[in-house]
Amino acid sequence: MISLTTVLSQSFAPADLPAAVRAALGKPLRRAAPLTQLALVGALACLPVERRALPTTLLWQSTSGPRLETLTLLEEVCNGSAEPMPYDFLATQPAIAAAQIQTFLPGLQTAMHLPLDSEGVANWSLLLNLAIVWLKEGRCAQVLCAQLDHAADVASGHWLALSRGTLENSPACLQLADGTTSDALPDTPDFPARLAEWLAGHDGSTLSLHSPAAMKLTVEFTRL
Amino acid sequence: MTRPVFINKTALLCARGNSPATVASALWNGECGAGQRKLGERAFPYFGLPLNEVDWLLRAEQAIRQVTGQLGPLPPEAPLFIASSSFQIGHFEQLGAPFDLPVANAAFSRKISEWLGLSGARTSFSNACTSGFSALDAARSLIAAGLIDDAIVLGVELANDSTLAGFAAMELLSRTAGRPFDARRDGLVLGEAVAAVRLSAKPATWRVAGLRTGLDGYSTTGPNPDGCRIADVTVDCLNDAKLKSADIELIKLQAAGSPGTDLAEANALRSVFGQNMPPLLSLKPGLGHTLGASGLAELAALLACLDADKIPATAGFSKVDPEIALFPMVERSTEHIERALLNLIGFGGGLASLIVERHG
Repeated sequence: MISLTTVLSQSFAPADLPAAVRAALGKPLRRAAPLTQLALVGALACLPVERRALPTTLLWQSTSGPRLETLTLLEEVCNGSAEPMPYDFLATQPAIAAAQIQTFLPGLQTAMHLPLDSEGVANWSLLLNLAIVWLKEGRCAQVLCAQLDHAADVASGHWLALSRGTLENSPACLQLADGTTSDALPDTPDFPARLAEWLAGHDGSTLSLHSPAAMKLTVEFTRL
Repeated sequence: MTRPVFINKTALLCARGNSPATVASALWNGECGAGQRKLGERAFPYFGLPLNEVDWLLRAEQAIRQVTGQLGPLPPEAPLFIASSSFQIGHFEQLGAPFDLPVANAAFSRKISEWLGLSGARTSFSNACTSGFSALDAARSLIAAGLIDDAIVLGVELANDSTLAGFAAMELLSRTAGRPFDARRDGLVLGEAVAAVRLSAKPATWRVAGLRTGLDGYSTTGPNPDGCRIADVTVDCLNDAKLKSADIELIKLQAAGSPGTDLAEANALRSVFGQNMPPLLSLKPGLGHTLGASGLAELAALLACLDADKIPATAGFSKVDPEIALFPMVERSTEHIERALLNLIGFGGGLASLIVERHG
């Protein structure tokens, strides 16, 4: 059985993000772009200390990606008087986020970053399908699925943590399903917040997520 | 449900040619010349596409249409998996300030779908140099699980100054040539490529026998020199393929001529293969390092070489580095290969190993 172990949504004023990192780590994370900082505070909030060394996969998507950092780099490359600073280039490389947080999540074995191509539409369905398949295969013990975005006025992270087997206090289990078998939520960036609302309420024992963007891959959540 | 996944068709456009077969032939003939790309006062060797169009977007469309045309007619509903490390940044460089970047950072993928007339699901991957194998991994997993039957996996890496400037600023580039595993190696040479792979549950000559990705957080720009994380991924991949190291008959290296990464890869290979090292081949001296497209471009080129039983020599290697103490093939070979391992070691900590095996 695949269990949902954590549902988490975070939102920060960009200026508060470094403080959130310090609160999580007890020290600042130097030379870390906002997406890396979001990844760190979210992942540590999802996984208690005793689960951080378990074989873990991170699958994360983003609408914004490193948009602000890319604008800075473009300005330097196209209008600057010298070559860009190395850090300004590194900050445009989202894949680096996983490498930078591995120190604090020693079980993090691999990560995949999926940039999104349309506003307001996410691909949780694909992330969860891959997570379920890989957990069933035994590739890893847990999968963190995330949507991380940052803009000038807000930095947000939405997270679902999945685990093989049942953990105490798991609110739901999930499985792949054919078509829509129950109430369905749209595949939007804030899906975890909607899922949390459903879990907090008492409407129905199952809930589906299916996405027009994700090959009719339907995921069904069942309350535990 | 788990079922085998096959590589039904490959397609490629890169500095060496406009199809996998022409690229394989050029590599066999030892072609490895690069052009040049200027960055301010400095010039770097660069493997550009053989296209004359100067408008970035029109050139991208030409390149992508040319490559997908090699795949034959595509069903409109075919799921599309797109891998790139830079997407359309070159387009915005060309447009200039105020750099009107789209809100969704992979909006270029929508454009690609439109060009190809594809209306099915579309997913983008950006994991620096391992993007191509990440996309392949996702598509293969869904096909193997019976969730989809086919997928088009497309790798796109097109010229831009931002990437060149970033790599140059970090002193990762050679000013002369890529020299994999060579004692005189001094950095990598970048290039462009568009490559595509059609994956399917339908049997074909080559099967994806194993595929695993990994992560090495030792540094944002290079792996742990001891190669331990790279070795772990290779072993995971062998296990996925249910093969032993002795079953591997050829290794397509990551080796691009980077001082640190080449050493880490060599240490990893020594720990996995010991004294029974298979022949080693690097394609990057002929194609350049095509970053997010490199996995798919090198896969397409390698399979064309293996289909012809013509394995090229590795250009750029002549002097053994005593610390590496491994040497890629310097003579061409007509050996018939049944199983090959392909390694990717990415900027930003990404790692990937793929094993392809002949079927039937």
